[in-house]
Amino acid sequence: MIISDHILAKALDAALSTGADFADIFVEETYSSMLSLRNGSADQAIVGQLYGAGIRLVFGTEVVFVTCNDLSEAGLVKAALLAAQSRGSQSPLHKPNPLQLHVFDSIHTFGEKPWEMNRDRKFAWLNSFDQHSRSASSFVTQVKSSLNEKFQKVQIANSKGVIAYDERAYSRMWSEVFVEKDGKTESSSQDAGHMGTSEVFDQINLKQIAEENTKRAMTLVNADFAPAGEMPVIIANGFGGVIFHEASGHGLETTSVAKNSSVFCGKLGEKIGNDCLTAIDDGTIQNEWGSLNIDDEGNKTQKTTLIEKGVVKSYMVDEVGSRETGYAMTGSGRRQSYKFAPASRMRNTFIAPGTDKFEDMVKDIDYGLYAKTMGGGSVSTGTGDYNFQVREAYVIRNGRLEEAVKGACLIGRGIETLGKITKVSDNLTVGRGMCGSVSGSIPAGVGQPELLVSSLMVGGRVK
Amino acid sequence: MDVVKQAFERVRLQAMKDGAEVEMLVTGGDRLSLKFQQKKLKTFNSSQSQMAGIRVLFRNQQGYAYTEKIEEEALLRAYLDALENAKIVQKPVTVEIQLVKPSSFRQMPELCLHEDIPLEKKMEVAALTESGCLDRDKRIDSVPYGSYSESKGFKRILNSNGMDQTYESGAYVSSAHPLAKDGNSSKSTGRSTIARRFADLNVDQMTIQAVADTLSLLNADKLPTGHYPVVIRSDQAQTLLAMISSYFSAKSVDEKKSLYRDKMNQKVASSLWTLTDDPLNTNGMAARPFDDEGSPSQKTVLIENGILKNFITNSEYSKKLNLPLTAHASRTPSSEMGIETSNLYVSLGSKNRQELLSKYPTTVFITHFAAGLHASFNSTTGDISMPCEGILYENGRPVKAVEQFILSMNIMDLMLQTEETGDSYMDPSSGMNCPDILITSVSLAGDKAK
Repeated sequence: MIISDHILAKALDAALSTGADFADIFVEETYSSMLSLRNGSADQAIVGQLYGAGIRLVFGTEVVFVTCNDLSEAGLVKAALLAAQSRGSQSPLHKPNPLQLHVFDSIHTFGEKPWEMNRDRKFAWLNSFDQHSRSASSFVTQVKSSLNEKFQKVQIANSKGVIAYDERAYSRMWSEVFVEKDGKTESSSQDAGHMGTSEVFDQINLKQIAEENTKRAMTLVNADFAPAGEMPVIIANGFGGVIFHEASGHGLETTSVAKNSSVFCGKLGEKIGNDCLTAIDDGTIQNEWGSLNIDDEGNKTQKTTLIEKGVVKSYMVDEVGSRETGYAMTGSGRRQSYKFAPASRMRNTFIAPGTDKFEDMVKDIDYGLYAKTMGGGSVSTGTGDYNFQVREAYVIRNGRLEEAVKGACLIGRGIETLGKITKVSDNLTVGRGMCGSVSGSIPAGVGQPELLVSSLMVGGRVK
Repeated sequence: MDVVKQAFERVRLQAMKDGAEVEMLVTGGDRLSLKFQQKKLKTFNSSQSQMAGIRVLFRNQQGYAYTEKIEEEALLRAYLDALENAKIVQKPVTVEIQLVKPSSFRQMPELCLHEDIPLEKKMEVAALTESGCLDRDKRIDSVPYGSYSESKGFKRILNSNGMDQTYESGAYVSSAHPLAKDGNSSKSTGRSTIARRFADLNVDQMTIQAVADTLSLLNADKLPTGHYPVVIRSDQAQTLLAMISSYFSAKSVDEKKSLYRDKMNQKVASSLWTLTDDPLNTNGMAARPFDDEGSPSQKTVLIENGILKNFITNSEYSKKLNLPLTAHASRTPSSEMGIETSNLYVSLGSKNRQELLSKYPTTVFITHFAAGLHASFNSTTGDISMPCEGILYENGRPVKAVEQFILSMNIMDLMLQTEETGDSYMDPSSGMNCPDILITSVSLAGDKAK
């Protein structure tokens, strides 16, 4: 526990003093560390701590949210009263329920905490990334590798009487390699990591990741620009799942559904895709990047089937979203830190494996694109218009993968694109991303097997 | 009692004993955000923040640590962490890194918010961001994103050289992103207004423009793939400045990441491009009296008539690359020292928008870039692949809205091929100011080719 229950109880009492229906307090103490290596030399070392609380009051569906760094009894009660009084001065409707500890078994296993682990061990992993990236090609000009670690302690209490404490660890290595050939420069970056502590890097094949990263940079430096126009596109597994994340995931959060600003409003039970499309958002996978034990509202995380055989089955629902829409909460309330009010957000979102084979998908295409390595993306949930970057792609010609191309952007409309997914392979993997939205930037797993979109707009270079 | 000064003094003395030098950057402030939905208050968000970042110089290496606990013990702990970090860093040493010595700087009281505005007035503005859109046209379905917000903050730098200097700044902001629907067509675009005087927030005008922008894109057609003359609207052209801004950093030059690294005094843009960085212009939201290591701010010409004239530096990279100190040190308490631009201004041309749009028989007027830089720009190569929306013009007249097309070009070529620049900025209070720009021929990927 970060602070004692009786202080939280007093603050909740103050929060309900002007008639709020519900109040919760999210207390956080987070240790962060970043080490980086540039061209073989230790380049940066930064450590730090966040420490504060976010207090949320709900009046019907109206939300009042305040933050404070003073976690003394006086500081928290003062902040709670400030929040309560911002809404007026009516009498309390009810008292908060007595706090009862929400006990749960942790799904995840953690090793040495970031501040306990010897830094030489961390630099050994960074050196491995650096050396293997460099030795994979004589055209490498620079390598920068970093290790980001975060250990977050959270304590959540609410006026329903729930109090919960949890710890979350995140470890992620990142490497960016620059190559130069014939006067042209290119770069490629690759990550490795998990929701957990850093000893995982002893098990991860850093050599293979580094070599693949350099190989990709070399592919890109030799590649021409992607073609332009509509064509069939095969999207790779793993981080290729960014297409579902952007095309549909955000639109299935009650954060946008409740505002009637999602193209998925009113679509529950409706068939919008082919039978091969089943999509899941799952916070319960052990040590997976977007997993949790409890969400940031103190509710046990869940596995939620969003779309089953093309039919919309569920939204992702948080406390306020549940009040606004009437749907049951799905343990999806998430936030970057105590500085953000929670909102319904994705955890690990992926398209379930199908039965098709990647090779067969390629064989059936006369002219199209295989999008192998994806970058970032974005969506307008109100219109469903989404986009994402493809860093590395290959032209498909007469059923064969041919030349590598770069610089493509894929765009489309969410529901329209889902209807064009005609084949899904059996090869599911999940990648790691940072997802930015109303409640800040959070770790989100994105995944899928390879899938075929029968027609998609490819923004390449016009010849 | 000045807790920060007292705590820093203890840290400074400890650093002296350790043979180190120390700098502390403290930031803090208050932020209020109000959102209305369906004409009722939806969220009231009030946050306070504070953070101290310690930078330690030890044997010519730098280490960093930060904390949100502004207390003596926590700051001393952060100092010790930063010292340990400095001991493990092994950057190649070429010059002696020094903390900046205090010197006089221009006071900027105009950056602060001095007014005491009643909450009711702020509520009215927040309500207007939504109602001002909803009431203007029946096709406006909702305003999913729209708010009033205000922020007041300070930045304070103390260091072992006796520096202890502070400035305050703040802004009122109102924004609206209406969602319009007409049959099967739906569109959403946004506008914002920002000011340092409450009365200068022009919410009415902002909602008029947000609604007009959004409605203008309804029932758009796909644009046939091809090369087109393109006018990029002033507020979207700011994005181009965001793409190139890091290329001016001497750190990026030193790390060989800048596409301008070998281009000093060479042509990097059409002669219409004169680009100035001006942190002293208090109309811009990136104004500041001194940079993040305390050097007094100054104006710097970056590109003059298309020729690259200056890189921007902090004290370390000024020495390292033997360049003038331009006072562009930049960091937050939780990040390492870097270099960043402040207010950027592309000088205005002589032609108005209509003249730019009338120059060629067919022109695509880009009014909306639909992706962030993370999804549309490769800074290593300068290649842009940006989804867009806009209006197709023929003979200077708008013909139809066009959507789902992608601008694909290299930023260096785009700047070199700029044929005209407009005569005004759409949002002069922005930190990045660029007029409309006309480019002769741009690859736009859309529907089947022309």
